[in-house]
Amino acid sequence: MPAVQETIDRVRKIDVDQYKYGFQTEIEMDKAPKGLSEDIIRFISSKKDEPDWMLEWRLEAYRRWVTLEEPTWARVHYPKINFQDIHYYAAPKSTPGPKSLSEVDPELLKVYEKLGIPLKEQEILAGVQKTVTADEEAEIGDNVYKSGRVAVDAVFDSVSVVTTFKEELAKAGVIFCSISEAIREHPELVKKYLGSVVPTSDNFYATMNSAVFTDGSFVFVPKGVRCPMELSTYFRINEKNTGQFERTLIIAEEGAYVSYLEGCTAPQRDENQLHAAVVELIALDDAEIKYSTVQNWYPGDAEGKGGIYNFVTKRGDCRGDRSKISWTQVETGSAITWKYPSCILRGDDSSGEFYSIAVSNGYQQVDSGTKMIHLGKNTSSRIISKGIAAGFSQNTYRGQVSAHRKAANARNFTNCDSLLIGDQCGAHTVPYMEAKNATAKFEHEATTSKISEDQKFYVMQRGIPEEEAIALIVNGFVKDVIQQLPMEFAVEAQKLIGISLEGSVG
Amino acid sequence: MNMHAQPQRTLAETALIDAFGERLSLLPGDGAVMTKRDDAIEAIKHGLPTRRIESWHYTDLRRLLTKVPAFEAGAVGKALAPVLEGSAVLPVLNGVSNAKLPEIEGVTVQRLSEKLTDGSIAPGLDRYGDDDAIGALNTAFVADGYFVDIADGTELEKPIELQNLQAGGQSHVRLLTRVGGGAKAIVVERQTGEGDEALVSSVSQLVVGDGAEVTWLIVQEQPDTATHLAQFKAHIGKDAKLTLFVMNAGGKLVRQEVVVRTTGEGADFKLRGINLLAGDTHTDTTMVLDHAVPHTTSTEVMRNVVTGKARGVFQGRINVHQYAQKTNAKMACNTLLLSDDGEFSTKPELEIFADDVVCGHGATVTEIDHNHLFYLMARGIDEKSARGLLVKAFVAEVIEELDDEALVEALEVRLDGWFSTHG
Repeated sequence: MPAVQETIDRVRKIDVDQYKYGFQTEIEMDKAPKGLSEDIIRFISSKKDEPDWMLEWRLEAYRRWVTLEEPTWARVHYPKINFQDIHYYAAPKSTPGPKSLSEVDPELLKVYEKLGIPLKEQEILAGVQKTVTADEEAEIGDNVYKSGRVAVDAVFDSVSVVTTFKEELAKAGVIFCSISEAIREHPELVKKYLGSVVPTSDNFYATMNSAVFTDGSFVFVPKGVRCPMELSTYFRINEKNTGQFERTLIIAEEGAYVSYLEGCTAPQRDENQLHAAVVELIALDDAEIKYSTVQNWYPGDAEGKGGIYNFVTKRGDCRGDRSKISWTQVETGSAITWKYPSCILRGDDSSGEFYSIAVSNGYQQVDSGTKMIHLGKNTSSRIISKGIAAGFSQNTYRGQVSAHRKAANARNFTNCDSLLIGDQCGAHTVPYMEAKNATAKFEHEATTSKISEDQKFYVMQRGIPEEEAIALIVNGFVKDVIQQLPMEFAVEAQKLIGISLEGSVG
Repeated sequence: MNMHAQPQRTLAETALIDAFGERLSLLPGDGAVMTKRDDAIEAIKHGLPTRRIESWHYTDLRRLLTKVPAFEAGAVGKALAPVLEGSAVLPVLNGVSNAKLPEIEGVTVQRLSEKLTDGSIAPGLDRYGDDDAIGALNTAFVADGYFVDIADGTELEKPIELQNLQAGGQSHVRLLTRVGGGAKAIVVERQTGEGDEALVSSVSQLVVGDGAEVTWLIVQEQPDTATHLAQFKAHIGKDAKLTLFVMNAGGKLVRQEVVVRTTGEGADFKLRGINLLAGDTHTDTTMVLDHAVPHTTSTEVMRNVVTGKARGVFQGRINVHQYAQKTNAKMACNTLLLSDDGEFSTKPELEIFADDVVCGHGATVTEIDHNHLFYLMARGIDEKSARGLLVKAFVAEVIEELDDEALVEALEVRLDGWFSTHG
């Protein structure tokens, strides 16, 4: 494509100006000293008032982690991380477990307000009608959650600061709280399920997470209950030199249904920050879990300086017959993304889905995809992945589909398409297909192309300027995935994609 | 690449390293060649590749290569009748090329041992990457083969057939071919043998000159006692065309690597392959294709049939370099998995650094379509025959695409041969 210089200039302009969540907040923090050792783990555990079994679990993971080597197979490049130069625990000082919103540090509330996250459930609950000025209207317009009721768990650096709608959820029998609280209040459930999908020995980052995880969300939907509202967690890394290591555990019992949303942002900093999360989903017979992510961590500046290293292990276990787990992700942030939300299709007739949009610009590197492991009979899976690479970024889809010998009639359909914008970026596709069963039926298709001149011409001929034309075509390209997102997220996702790509067109 | 230092050498690794010490004095080569051999055996000393090495993920050579036979081969056989009638045959029998070289107009043929002794092919002995275990094994031990030079503008009337025949034991062969600018040639590379356990490494290197047209057929019909580690490397020049047809229908442990690079604008590469897998065997076809310059095209179609306890692998990577704009590349890999004990793993990869390209790949694994079967059986054809027809049609489709009638017929004969024993 011509006009390379112009593209570079525009990309540069954008990356600096457009990450609107790049602010940081001055809040007094309680931090663990830098570094990782058994003492630090004891410190975290005691800060969280954890029972002994939890501490033992962490220590065991730590001892294992020390023996592991960092994985290098992904198509991402970064200087070696000094794991001893990170704070593994940072919490806002003034929050000894607030009972209500009024006890939460107002600075903190401002952060979430700025991010457009509604924590003020009371007003909505009470049906308070405010008179809205035009300015406020515009601001609320940005607040994508206004339309529906969403219960939110807000995680600030290492701790969960507030969880909304807890009481109403409790009436339905749904437990939605921070994982620290769950360890204290519901140890029998945590003991039973924690680490049962992603064992402490799983991989380098998952093992590290098991040792040092600080907070995250816990969801338990009992038998036959359809969760009455969307659940959501909002992650924010604020403090300098900290890593965020959250752990999320979602359990849907027989016949239960839950839809869970996750969003994340971080301030603009020159240093790279580490985010190594583990998410475990468990679906029993006839249960369904829908997990949606809009990932918008700080991607680094125009020169590729700073940004979040996002090394995440997400896995769902369709443990029961006829269960279903669906992952939807929109990845626009992070300097490096290393993430493969997977499904273990263990129950007969279970199904897994993975819908993904990964947008990379600037110097971002994305290596993401999924694993569909067919173990049960008549299991099916579907993978739709759309990668868009611009600027100097590298965007890789890496996915595995495998059918076990006993997985009769396993069925998979995979479609991964990549779009390249500019000639300095790369798009890669690495699918692994492993069939060990004659009745398995796997289909895979992948394409890579740029936006064709014909398409662009067609749209522009109707009087639409080039940049808008491209946005329109890109939105058409990702439509299959956007449709899978809950409505509130779909709007945000569409906007995010627009922002991430703006100016990348030469 | 991280070829991890292995904690303990396997029997096969030890046997190879010992054999190198014993054979060294018998191996032809000047100083430069011998340096390459030393480097190559060093690589083997670091251990054969395991599944931790990405390009060997599905073929753990360290685990699968359990035994290395001695060099002594069985009775030296005779050259076989060629696949295509009237071909000029260049046989390599138990690793040794024929003393008498045929006279073909416009073609210069030399024994590879001479080229090794004078050192003129030393640069070609480089491995293409740290994970090039076949290159390392072959470079360390290669003793003979052929060097074929087809002069510019020569249009060969008769095909050339390179035969590599092995009756047990071990052999390491290299077949170098240069096809001059504007020349046209059909070359058959026949890999077969008989008898006892064998370990064969064979590396073919081809340079297709500007505007040349080459059709290259690899017909691999090793006995099920043979380990066959082969490599086909080619450079395709400006406006040149290369059609490579690979037929794997034998061998106990087979790895056929195809490493191709387009070096001139307008170059076109076609790969057509059929893997006919039976018994308790392991067959891996791995392709790495580099679109290194703008305006080049490629299509790859693989058809695989898996029966018995056979394990099949296809890895195909298309690299489109940053300035290789206007690349058009398409790859398809279709597999019929006919037995519950069989396995097939596919990894079609696209690595794309240029934006103005059209690239795609498709892969399927499935059993015979029941509707098709019903259609035939409704016409009074019994199930076994109906299945046979469908499977044959599935692979024959790629053969029929070749535009040379003699080629199509010859390959169909091979196909029938396989089906009559395995169908």
